[in-house]
Amino acid sequence: MKKILVVVLVLLSVVAFSKTTITFWHAMSGSNLTAVDNVVKGFNESQNEIEVVAQFTGSYAETLTKAIAAYRTGTHPHIVQVYEVGLQTMLDSGAILPVYQLAEPGFDWGDVVTPILNYYSVNDQLYSMPFNSSTAILYYNKDIFAAAGLDPNKPPSTFDELYEMGKKIVQSGASQGGISFGWPAWVFEQMHATHAQFYANNQNGREAKASQVLFNGEFGQKVFIEWMKWAQDKVFVYGGREYSANTAFLTGQVAMLIQSTSSVGSIQKTASFNVGTSFLPRMEGYPRGNSVIGGATIWVLKGKSEAENKAVWEFLKYIIRPEVSLQWHKSTGYFPSSNTTVKLLMDEGWFASQPNHLTAFLQILSGSNIPEAQGVRLGNFVAIRDVVDSAVEKAVQYKGKDYEKEAKRILDDAAKECNNILREYIQLYGD
Amino acid sequence: MQRRFPNRVLPYILLSPSIVIVIIFLIVPTVQSIYMSFFRVSPFGDRKFFVGFENFTRLFQSSAYLHSLIITLIFAVLVVLIGLSLGTVIAVLLNQKLRGLFVYRTFFIWTYAISPAIAGTIWALMFNPSSGPIVYIIRSITGIGINWMTDRNLALAVVVIAASWKMLGYNIIFYLAGLQAIPEELLESASIDGASGVTKFFKIILPLLSPTTFFLLIMNMLYAFFDVFGLIDIMTKGGPGDATELLVYKLYRDGFISMNTGFASAQSVVLFVFVAILTVLQFKYTERKVFYG
Repeated sequence: MKKILVVVLVLLSVVAFSKTTITFWHAMSGSNLTAVDNVVKGFNESQNEIEVVAQFTGSYAETLTKAIAAYRTGTHPHIVQVYEVGLQTMLDSGAILPVYQLAEPGFDWGDVVTPILNYYSVNDQLYSMPFNSSTAILYYNKDIFAAAGLDPNKPPSTFDELYEMGKKIVQSGASQGGISFGWPAWVFEQMHATHAQFYANNQNGREAKASQVLFNGEFGQKVFIEWMKWAQDKVFVYGGREYSANTAFLTGQVAMLIQSTSSVGSIQKTASFNVGTSFLPRMEGYPRGNSVIGGATIWVLKGKSEAENKAVWEFLKYIIRPEVSLQWHKSTGYFPSSNTTVKLLMDEGWFASQPNHLTAFLQILSGSNIPEAQGVRLGNFVAIRDVVDSAVEKAVQYKGKDYEKEAKRILDDAAKECNNILREYIQLYGD
Repeated sequence: MQRRFPNRVLPYILLSPSIVIVIIFLIVPTVQSIYMSFFRVSPFGDRKFFVGFENFTRLFQSSAYLHSLIITLIFAVLVVLIGLSLGTVIAVLLNQKLRGLFVYRTFFIWTYAISPAIAGTIWALMFNPSSGPIVYIIRSITGIGINWMTDRNLALAVVVIAASWKMLGYNIIFYLAGLQAIPEELLESASIDGASGVTKFFKIILPLLSPTTFFLLIMNMLYAFFDVFGLIDIMTKGGPGDATELLVYKLYRDGFISMNTGFASAQSVVLFVFVAILTVLQFKYTERKVFYG
């Protein structure tokens, strides 16, 4: 009898002290990887019931692919970081647990920064946990501006200014190129949002599933024509699909860069010159929209026990705590997800000492909150972005002078391909 | 026939490990791909419906696919040509008696030991438009800045160079082995008859190397079709535009980025049939010219 009691006690204690393990797959590399590890470490040390294990699983696309493959074999993680283009895929997947359902009733979502909340909500219900949201801003090299005889405190605010300044920079020999973009297709999406243009029908797919892209319209062509013109004059130097353009900017090969705000931290740390930041340049004659959110959120996958889901929620609650998201913002440049955090940062004078971190905020808060700028929701957006990236690459290689015709041809081809993708998606999931 | 095994079961037992591996890793996936190529499947696999041959008809109507096919053929021909010709020449040079020969040999051969990802990274760094040493050298000599991220032909050329370089070590090893199997007397008697080095190379060495060349032809072709995924993924991701989107890479993009499993399966079936036909043709027509000594 005594023996049995001992065994039972030992078993009980094991159960009582065993931690719930939560696996978290993410796509943060470089200095952002350290930042994720710090968040996770902070959580694990803050309590002793739950152990979060974070795993870097490759790029955003790779992480999504791996999570899907794992889900199909039942070996998926509890939570996975998915980039914004995976939104529709995740919503339709039937594999997710929306965070609004996971949260305890009455949880106050009102503190989440509005553009982020809008982007990831369906019918005013939040589906995934804001984690690393960013937007695109203009970075510029103040030293090159000065060397080219330009005012280092006056970055371009319109396309025309950008083109003129770019030409001056190239001609003066201050730099070999004017500007480069990170995530070119995303910048193209940003252009639509900042000029209040829809990228796809059905209000960017937010009213009903989008069945047609609209980027090959008059506006999209205009943007492409400008970019092609810039490229021929070396004002625009194509720099690759993700972050590779940063190298060109950091080595002074180009004077300006349009890139995600998530690079503010690394660019400021690495640059050997004075870095300035500003709002995205605009074309005149179009209504003012707003820049759109990018980055990623954390999705909760189905098929885990009640206790594990509870533990997941504890972790998700932890990451939007003001002090955690404050640290996250400071070490990465991603938006702090809550308004409380923004206030904290403001109160401690962070923005005053770090103006480049402020740019993104001012930009996103100064624009208007119109449907065009709340984010695009497309079926298989991953594939669509790939098609558009390819279209940008074709455009910047163009050597002729018949810009209008070439821009229309490239965009029409791309649109045709994207519409096929959308049609197939609707065939699978219905509209 | 003489019975080499004491009973009938033993040979099968001995063969079973390889048979199991072939079934699990080759036969089952192949059958699955063929099956999947008739369906359209949602990314998470929760929806699936039969589409008959639609994936295939779409494939052959797609200009992107035909483009990819042409690029792949150009790529394969270049990689095989460069790989085999450079491989023979270097192997002949390395077959001489030189001081410190093993050092040279190691240097030439070790490219094969490098993983495609590392090889891709090395070349991508060397040709990096803003910080690559090769780009820098070309710029300082000619004043022309080259950017393979915006130049279709240059991108393809760089990928071809990287892929051929990566396979060079492999080709050299086999050619060296082939060279060492050539009887010394043949070359000696040719020298006595007054044959020059060039004559000896073309009239004796090359024909005697033909079995090796034939083997390498097939291996290099398979390499160019299937094994260059890592290089492309690291270096160009199929870009700029679709300039380096080889069939394997397109298959990966459609299957794993666009999550179009059915369409990608159809591509893999077509690729399989295509390479099978090429190999059979080579066996049929090229092997006649091979001299096995």
